[in-house]
Amino acid sequence: MIDNILYSIRNLTVEYTTRAGSVKAVEDVSMDIRRGEILGLVGESGCGKSTLGKALMRLHTGPARITEGELWFDGRDLMTLPLKDMPDIRGAEIGMVFQDPMTSLNPVQRILEHITETIQTHEPEISDTDARKRAEELVERLGIRRERIMDYPHQMSGGMRQRVMISLALSLRAKLVIADEPTTSLDVIVEAKFLDLLKELQKEFGLTILLITHNIGVVAEISDRIAVMYAAKLAELGDVNDVFAHPKHPYTQALMRSVPNIKLDSGELYKMAGAPPDLSHPPAGCRFHPRCPYVMDICRVEVPPLEAVEGDQLAACWLYPSVLAKSQEKMHA
Amino acid sequence: MTATKDQLPKNAPEAVSWESELERVGFVRRIFLARRWYGADWWFVTIASVMVVAFIIVAIVPGWFAPYGPDAIVGPRFLAPGEHPAVPVLIVPADSKVNDLKDLAVPADQPRPSVAVVIGVPTGGALNEQAKAIDEQLRNEPGGLRLRPQIDRYATIDQALQAVVDGTDLAAVIQSTEWEKQGLAQKFPTLREANTITGEISTAGGFLLGTNDIGQDVLSRLLWGTRIALIVGFSSSIVALVFGVPLGLFAGFIGGPMDRLLSLIMDSLYAFPGLILAISITAVLGPSILNIIVAIAVLYVPTYYRIVRGQTLSVKEEVYVEAARSIGARSREILQRYIFPNVIPSVAIIFSVNVADAILTGAGLSFLGLGLPPTIADWGIDVARGQRFIQTGWWMITYPGLAIIAVVLAFSMMGEGLTEIFNPKLRER
Repeated sequence: MIDNILYSIRNLTVEYTTRAGSVKAVEDVSMDIRRGEILGLVGESGCGKSTLGKALMRLHTGPARITEGELWFDGRDLMTLPLKDMPDIRGAEIGMVFQDPMTSLNPVQRILEHITETIQTHEPEISDTDARKRAEELVERLGIRRERIMDYPHQMSGGMRQRVMISLALSLRAKLVIADEPTTSLDVIVEAKFLDLLKELQKEFGLTILLITHNIGVVAEISDRIAVMYAAKLAELGDVNDVFAHPKHPYTQALMRSVPNIKLDSGELYKMAGAPPDLSHPPAGCRFHPRCPYVMDICRVEVPPLEAVEGDQLAACWLYPSVLAKSQEKMHA
Repeated sequence: MTATKDQLPKNAPEAVSWESELERVGFVRRIFLARRWYGADWWFVTIASVMVVAFIIVAIVPGWFAPYGPDAIVGPRFLAPGEHPAVPVLIVPADSKVNDLKDLAVPADQPRPSVAVVIGVPTGGALNEQAKAIDEQLRNEPGGLRLRPQIDRYATIDQALQAVVDGTDLAAVIQSTEWEKQGLAQKFPTLREANTITGEISTAGGFLLGTNDIGQDVLSRLLWGTRIALIVGFSSSIVALVFGVPLGLFAGFIGGPMDRLLSLIMDSLYAFPGLILAISITAVLGPSILNIIVAIAVLYVPTYYRIVRGQTLSVKEEVYVEAARSIGARSREILQRYIFPNVIPSVAIIFSVNVADAILTGAGLSFLGLGLPPTIADWGIDVARGQRFIQTGWWMITYPGLAIIAVVLAFSMMGEGLTEIFNPKLRER
């Protein structure tokens, strides 16, 4: 069972220290990423999903800091690894695809140099010709013509650049690819093709993908499981079909209803009341309680833990007896 | 299966704009393409570049172009451009076969040739000396010829020339300028001007841009001065670049207290008025080329530092730098392959404008007598020198001044023009 899990996040907290005080962009998040799955991480802007994605590679700079938690990747705790050894993991074992393909490639380097650099950074013994051969095979596999490898990024379209970004992750057979809103800046047709490709690659290379997005449709299309984040915390986690069919957390329920659906003829689109909380002064108890239609007294005081409510489906909500029971168990223990 | 993946339009017609067209080709073709998009600007850049290349060639081998050395005293003082120096010249009857002083030589037993000169003019002495030298030479040659002219002195030029017309004397020796200036040629149509007493053509020895107050050739000093100007301009800019760019990269990349300290130092330097700072540095260090370069370099280090630091700050936040870290690149690689190449174009832009500025500052220091030892051929020194004689010899200050203007204009025009061609996006701002 434990072998089934590629990346285990335990109680991860990421803090931004600003002049106005510290802000927890990710707070006490625990989840497992299973081998070979596509895990969709959804949430609205500013809920901390990109911060979480970067934290998985310890890519933080400046004001951001991981203040708590363990990151177990493939049997190793990355938090105990010295920061100077992290570059060996980055690229080689965990790859990342960024949101804006227009800016995520070095404008003064050819595509070829991007890929060979990645290969040779981690495997310096590989000769230039071998690295080039590998790079050419790779881009061809991703549907970019071999000749285009000598192009500069600005000579390529957005979809092609995004495929180049993927090829960087694939060039060293990274086990985990963190895709941070990879399709946000692509139009729908290119987006669909890109998602198809992603799914195909996942099968072919046995990739594990963490797909960070605010687009629920994208998650529904290709993910195996879905994690819903709200205000720096996980609200719900479960199989994508279960969550879409029976969302447990009130936030997830509201989220599902906010998505335009062509089949339903309910007139006006559902609009969630209120606004996401200011993370520098989060509300006490459940973060969602000021907007929750089912708010109870306990919600205003106690933070609900993320617990299984039905089968494999986890939710952090006091509405469910199993959540209440688990927290009472802990209190007695 | 993969073929179907790439159904994206490959050859979709794209609106051709000057920007996208320029971006698609290499540097060399870009220059020629630029002509289409930039119109008149292109010609400015071309002319400026040709001038810059010419200045550089002259600076490398001034000896090929300059007729004299930089310090050689080659003629009379204050000779205007195009004017000939006054040299003793032979005036002979038009039908005479005599061309040179040497032609007056006769066998020892024959009567000595008589030559007319004017009293109070140094031609008599010069003739005597030259004749003696030739005589000495002839004595060592076979043929038994001797040259011991009998010198007849007259009160005026007219009298001396009349004597030649009358046949009293075989020839007259007068200053060449006199013959040209006072219309003597018209007055004595039966006489003609032969060579100078040293055997040169009488109109030789003119100076295109005249001579200065101690008889040096202004043109030669101008050409030799190019070397100093460009050495000062380039060296100080390069020194400033070599210090400013790495400091800027370092400070911008690591940030923190080091960055603040460096920026404080650089901003304090920057706050000084440029020339005054350079003056104080050279005043302390003393005049020499090396010191002037150091002084000007200190002046420009903050320029490079600020530009590079600012660019580094913005480039390091680019997603591609984060992407580079996400593929496992280390700081050194990121600086080298991601930040430096993206920062360097803006450095190239300031460089050529900076060279022009440094030349100007260098000339300014020399003008004030602080830059270089006064024996060196330098435009600033020549301007300072010419300023004292601006009424007697306008050419002494004018030509070095024009040279400074030309070189500064050429460098800045080339720099700014190339910037527009290589970074078409900047043009819009």
